[in-house]
Amino acid sequence: MEVFIAQVINGLSLGSIYVLLVTGFNLLLLVAMIIHFSFPIVVVFSMYIAWIVLGLTGNNLFLGISAGIVSAILLNIITAPMFQHIMKKRGEVDINSTMVLSMGLGMIITDFLSHSINKGFPIAFPDALTGRAEGAFLKIGIISMSRGAFLALIVGIIFVLGLFWILYKTKQGRAFRAIAEDPNGAKLVGLPILKTGFQSYALTGFLGGSTAILMAILLGSASPGLGDQLGHKVLAVSIIAGLGNLKGGLIVGLSLGILEALVQGYWTGTWSNAVAFVIMLIAILVKPKGLFGMKL
Amino acid sequence: MEQNKSGESYILEVKNLSVSYGHVNALKGVDIKVKAGEIVVLIGANGAGKTSLLETILGVNEIKNGSIHFQGREISGDSADKIVRSGIFLVPEGRGVFSSMTVTDNLLLGAHHNLKGAKSKMDYVFSSFPILKDRKNQVAGTLSGGERQMLAIARALMSSPKMILVDEPSIGLAPKIVNDIFDILKNLNSEGYSILLSEQNVYKALKCAHRGYVMETGNIVLGAASEDLLNNPEIRKAYLGA
Repeated sequence: MEVFIAQVINGLSLGSIYVLLVTGFNLLLLVAMIIHFSFPIVVVFSMYIAWIVLGLTGNNLFLGISAGIVSAILLNIITAPMFQHIMKKRGEVDINSTMVLSMGLGMIITDFLSHSINKGFPIAFPDALTGRAEGAFLKIGIISMSRGAFLALIVGIIFVLGLFWILYKTKQGRAFRAIAEDPNGAKLVGLPILKTGFQSYALTGFLGGSTAILMAILLGSASPGLGDQLGHKVLAVSIIAGLGNLKGGLIVGLSLGILEALVQGYWTGTWSNAVAFVIMLIAILVKPKGLFGMKL
Repeated sequence: MEQNKSGESYILEVKNLSVSYGHVNALKGVDIKVKAGEIVVLIGANGAGKTSLLETILGVNEIKNGSIHFQGREISGDSADKIVRSGIFLVPEGRGVFSSMTVTDNLLLGAHHNLKGAKSKMDYVFSSFPILKDRKNQVAGTLSGGERQMLAIARALMSSPKMILVDEPSIGLAPKIVNDIFDILKNLNSEGYSILLSEQNVYKALKCAHRGYVMETGNIVLGAASEDLLNNPEIRKAYLGA
């Protein structure tokens, strides 16, 4: 029972990271109308920026964390005009061109990371950020958590709650959902489409940057290929939940995190990806439009 | 506000308006005027350009030629959200309510640009449409056609508009509900809202409106007081089947 509880807690940390990534991906899909499956690669890029700044400033946590978050917001906003150009011209979702743009952006970042930073070797985050060296911060029976893991769990859950509060309780969130359901109808009630799309880039940039820091703390390392791995998972989770289904993404993202943690706890960590994908494969065969239905 | 010879003021003036979609000319030099406090109806068959005209006034379509003045100020070329903020709101054809969102959320979307007074506007809207108050936490997809039309009109009121554009409100509704909707529009007009309406239900629309324009293939072919149009033999023959 203790193993179970411990792994569920670990799974919630991992799961909230998936939820943040999937929701960012879905928001870009629904509001900005782009299939940005390289979004997780942007997140990994921000992990690298945080790592570089931590190295340059002698592990100044404030500067390192800020740099990670700000870089993701900037990268999202800088690339926004390219995506918006396509949208403005066509006046509707042009999945093919946005996908090519996103793919290209991902390739450039991954190439850059594997040639130019740390000679392409994986990077390790300092103990000052991860809190690994301090040993267990919280210890109840065999459940033990480092300070970093504990923080990541709390912050991850707060961010997921905050994100859904924004989506369902604020003016901007209401506009996001309206544009998501019917972009043309949203225009007819006077919602500023491009401005709201831009806000969704900024919000997902902030989410991505924060997720980068949480992952740095939780994983303790990063490699150029991490973005691709996460990209596959995020795409899979969003399709299985139902593309564009925000609440579905929340449930499936958390479930995937817990499932992977349980496989690691009871079997072996090296098989957790394979088990997760087998289960997802079955889910998609049974429900091709996603467990909770597509919202596109 | 611009004054005409007799001293009456026009809230909306559309002059020589042309719009094309690619090679299709949707509007070919349209002139219409709406006085403050009037209900004016656009009648015409499918494809005559009624929806194009309303959506162009709202700022959704690109204007090829001509101008639109609202309260004496030129609004042609402004974005739709700016035009909505200046006091025009559209009740779209087919209602255009967001079916996955609650009635309350749909109403608040109408007040997107000015949420400060939203609470009191919501009370006002609920007192006019008690059925919406009963259903305020339901998603709009569960409403009947008539309730959706009421929601679309109520959403327009949430924006505190000076002028409401209503696109084919009677489409797909039972005759009794159609009468209710026209009564609602008349009541709103008596509260001071100017209304520009497009309708294929010519008889009921003309009974409700002060004046009407007849549209055919992107042109205004006739404009007159409602009674004159109702008595016009050609209109009777073409649109009233008499």
